[in-house]
Amino acid sequence: MGIFAAVNFPPIGEVLNWKPLLFGGSSVALNKVGLTSMLATAITLALFFLAGRKKALVPTGVQNVVESGVDFITNSIVLDIMGPEGIAWLPWLTGLFFFILFNNLFEVVPIFQMPATARMGVTLPLAITVWVTFMAVGVKKQGFASYFKHAVVPSGVPGAILVLLVPLEILSTFIVRPFALAIRLFGNMLAGHLLLLTFAILSEAMFAKSIALVLLPLPFAMLTVLTGYEIFVSALQAFIFTILTAVYIGEAMAGGH
Amino acid sequence: MSTLLFAASQSSNPILPASGEIIWSVLSFFVLLLILAKVAFPPVAKMMKDRSEKIRTDIEAGELARSEAEQMKAQAREHLEDARRESSRLVDEARKTAEAVKAELVANAEAEVASMKVRAEEALDVERTRLVSELREATAELALSLAERILAEQLDRASFDPLITAFLAESEASSK
Repeated sequence: MGIFAAVNFPPIGEVLNWKPLLFGGSSVALNKVGLTSMLATAITLALFFLAGRKKALVPTGVQNVVESGVDFITNSIVLDIMGPEGIAWLPWLTGLFFFILFNNLFEVVPIFQMPATARMGVTLPLAITVWVTFMAVGVKKQGFASYFKHAVVPSGVPGAILVLLVPLEILSTFIVRPFALAIRLFGNMLAGHLLLLTFAILSEAMFAKSIALVLLPLPFAMLTVLTGYEIFVSALQAFIFTILTAVYIGEAMAGGH
Repeated sequence: MSTLLFAASQSSNPILPASGEIIWSVLSFFVLLLILAKVAFPPVAKMMKDRSEKIRTDIEAGELARSEAEQMKAQAREHLEDARRESSRLVDEARKTAEAVKAELVANAEAEVASMKVRAEEALDVERTRLVSELREATAELALSLAERILAEQLDRASFDPLITAFLAESEASSK
């Protein structure tokens, strides 16, 4: 109990609500989350510019990283889910993947140690963008009435069941989808952030109490293991968000249920 | 311990998005999409496409070269077979020609030998006839001379000619 007395877990407001760095007090206040989003954009663009400039026949370094990413998105997401006609969406999905990935990875970057995606202010706009995009694609490809009919009325279902199914389809396709996308990413990254924070604070408390206590295996070892695990989760969540986006857009392009 | 029990009541709802975060993240995302799609992505995509194209053409060229090499190998094998057949044919032909020449030479030689033999026999016959004639004459002369000496008298040769001829015919028959 003596050790726990030294634990000073910060209020949730300090963990998630960051002080403004610029434009404080206004509705466009720039805090750590906004800065992280901009950095994710800058890093992604820098990587692509560097990779595009090298043009080596056998890719190495940055070019290899970027090309592996693009290759992975092309084969494992676009071609697998959307087929060859989904190639037109490759830049869009690549941008989405790298944007989420780098925002996630800031969770384990010293000084930042906060994934921007652990805030609904980042994940919800992304999910709404995907939501608007797949509906727009569906309407453009199939026409307004045809798209919404195919989206909410399953074919081959008796009329009596439709009374039950149509509201469910409307709910799942047009309401649950964007929220599920946003909350899945937000929840996973927030949970990871809080886990890392918990074990970091425990380790720090032990270190402060007695330097020998930090050698106790659990908190510091867990912190180390969870850091590696969160890197994996960062990539996994970026992949899940991107592949679900591809599924929704591909479905809207193909039509039918 | 109470410090561990952090409560959501410590701050405003952490789930609700802040307007600044929405604006900056949306701005960042759309700037990223715009620049990536228009400027940054196409060179990378082109490079990857060019590489795939190069690999594809290299593979096709390799396949073509292999096919040509196999074709050339087949042609070389065919030429070798032709050359082998031709040499075999030439050897056979040479052998046949040699045999024909040999047969002709042998035939010519045999004919020549036969001809020489005939000629020799003819010459022999002529010579024998001549010798027989000379011998006959010499024998007649000798017989006459002997008879002249034995009888010691001159006899009319014409009256003894039939006798001499009969004698020589008998002696010729007995010599054969």
